[in-house]
Amino acid sequence: MYQESLRGARRESLGTAAVLLGTWLALIAASTIYRADFLSRQTLLSVTFTMAVLGVVTVAQSLVTISGGILDLSIPTGLILPAWVIVTLLGHGVNIVFVIAAGLLTGAGWGCLNALIIVFGKLNPIIVTLGTNFAGAAIVNVYLQSGQTPLKSGLATWGQSEVLGLPNVFWAMAIFVVIAGYYLSHSRVGRRTIAVGGNPQAARVRGISLRKTRFGVFLASGAVCGFAALLFTASTLNFVSSETTYYLLPCVAATILAGIRLQGGSGNLWLILLSVGLLATVPTSLAFFGVGELWQNVPPGVVLVVAVSIDGFRQMRVKR
Amino acid sequence: MIAPTSGPEASEEAPLADRTEWRTLLRGAFSGATGSIAITLVAVLLVALFWVGTEFYTTANLTIIGAAVTVPLLVGTCSGFALLAGVVDLSIGSCAGVCAAVFAYLTVHHWGGWPAAGIVVLVGLAIGLVNSVSIVGFGANPLAATLGMLTGLLGLQYVITGQDGLITSLLPGLYSFSNRQLGPLPLIFLLVLVAVGAAYYVVTFSRLGRHVRAVGGDEVAAGRAGIRVKRIRVGALVLSSLGASVAGIIYIGQQGGASNTLGTDITFQVYAALMIGGYSIIRGGVGNPLGGAMGLLVIAGVTEIIDLKGINTYYTDVVIGVLLLAAVFLDRLRGGDSFE
Repeated sequence: MYQESLRGARRESLGTAAVLLGTWLALIAASTIYRADFLSRQTLLSVTFTMAVLGVVTVAQSLVTISGGILDLSIPTGLILPAWVIVTLLGHGVNIVFVIAAGLLTGAGWGCLNALIIVFGKLNPIIVTLGTNFAGAAIVNVYLQSGQTPLKSGLATWGQSEVLGLPNVFWAMAIFVVIAGYYLSHSRVGRRTIAVGGNPQAARVRGISLRKTRFGVFLASGAVCGFAALLFTASTLNFVSSETTYYLLPCVAATILAGIRLQGGSGNLWLILLSVGLLATVPTSLAFFGVGELWQNVPPGVVLVVAVSIDGFRQMRVKR
Repeated sequence: MIAPTSGPEASEEAPLADRTEWRTLLRGAFSGATGSIAITLVAVLLVALFWVGTEFYTTANLTIIGAAVTVPLLVGTCSGFALLAGVVDLSIGSCAGVCAAVFAYLTVHHWGGWPAAGIVVLVGLAIGLVNSVSIVGFGANPLAATLGMLTGLLGLQYVITGQDGLITSLLPGLYSFSNRQLGPLPLIFLLVLVAVGAAYYVVTFSRLGRHVRAVGGDEVAAGRAGIRVKRIRVGALVLSSLGASVAGIIYIGQQGGASNTLGTDITFQVYAALMIGGYSIIRGGVGNPLGGAMGLLVIAGVTEIIDLKGINTYYTDVVIGVLLLAAVFLDRLRGGDSFE
């Protein structure tokens, strides 16, 4: 029974992967046919740079969704807080090792605050994170309007360099997603997280602590945001603090497009590479089609509505 | 919170039960979440009196508050029906935004006010129907589907308002109507307030309202009881979008133009206010328009206090966040949903 459902889930994620990859390749092919110079180094760099931060943030979002927390609406604050700490410490010439640790810890700290309210208040994460994001983002905005990564810092030079023709930040994201995806589906902790998201009562009966799992998920998701902030400050050297709000809708879209249902309990993090890749290609493609960047939100919105409608329809048929 | 209705007893002792039903309904309306939001509203008004002083209660200031709260109030009251029916509609913010942009665009391109308004209402209707097809027809998750709609409409709004992100549209008739006063308050605010009263009546006392709450509370049970679940959800989603589209027109009347700023922010603010007022975005069947309206008034009051005291306006958001957490926590203590 368990093996069977596992096989079903695997087949489903293979299907989603095929659709995502197909759409992505079709988009690339169409853009290339329209204008042959689409397939250029410039495009590759712009797409991979966009993918880097978005990919990591989407992992943070997906962890919450898979564990049954619906959505983490506080991602913008979870991203800007560590970014702020990172650029401040770098500005004071602190050793990069400590800066990285501080970034990850700040992210985890933000996740911990969310987790405390969620676990001890027994409140739904989507509401709690809506509230904490209101308060958190406002407080950050009071004290920090814009940030700058010092140009001579190790982080900035690392963020601007490449390995094998692709940006370092992209490789960091890709490796991270692969490891996180493997860990979630193969480790005991990861399996427990999925179990809690699928059916909390059943998970509890099996002896899984819901509180510990939820706490762990938000702690991990916060730390992942801290990691995303490292990539963000490494690739975006000048930023305004409201900039991170632009990651919220795309990372939710990328989560849902990767086949991770908002009901929780299912999902394969590896598919994030495809959904983020698709979303990151859209703006560049539109530009090559001669459509201004003003249009860039329209296709993801349409794709999202269509995708969740198809998914809803399939689930409805399964139920019958 | 759903006011307890007397079921079987009502048929046995009709006259008496009828009276007690009214009483329990009224009591239900002012205890629980609505009660605490009423207390919060009074607290805000007292803080305004003692901290800001009578400056807060001047005609000019009441006008400002009334005007500022009109658009969110209309949007929130209509989308409250979607929340009650258990289908959260996150697309309201950019629906209002795109409708404002369309209205401004049409009027700038030599359309009359009324025909343009007609088109805008049709746009709202279309958005509501697309949401309905996706959520009710195909069974898509409402949060996910309307988030997609929010993103897509936000994009359209950018497209219509163009590179400047702004279309100026000053219709003399609409402008003077939007700024007409009745006593210290804008006429349009009072009209929306009447709509809130009507919505409250429908939700609390009418059969339709009971059906909407039943659908949101437990759709399977409601379906078995013979309530047309799909029809009610489609109606609620369409009403939500229509409210947002009319709010978009009012926005043009007040501001004299459309900008691309009306979007995600207003969605989250309206829903925060509605949840402070007793609605829930994750569960249908709870809350009522009166509580939601008071939630929005509380936020408008806090915004104004912070403005008058010359405090950094970002602190309004801090207050919203804290109030939201406090409200849902209080609701949980009172026996609301607990999340584990």
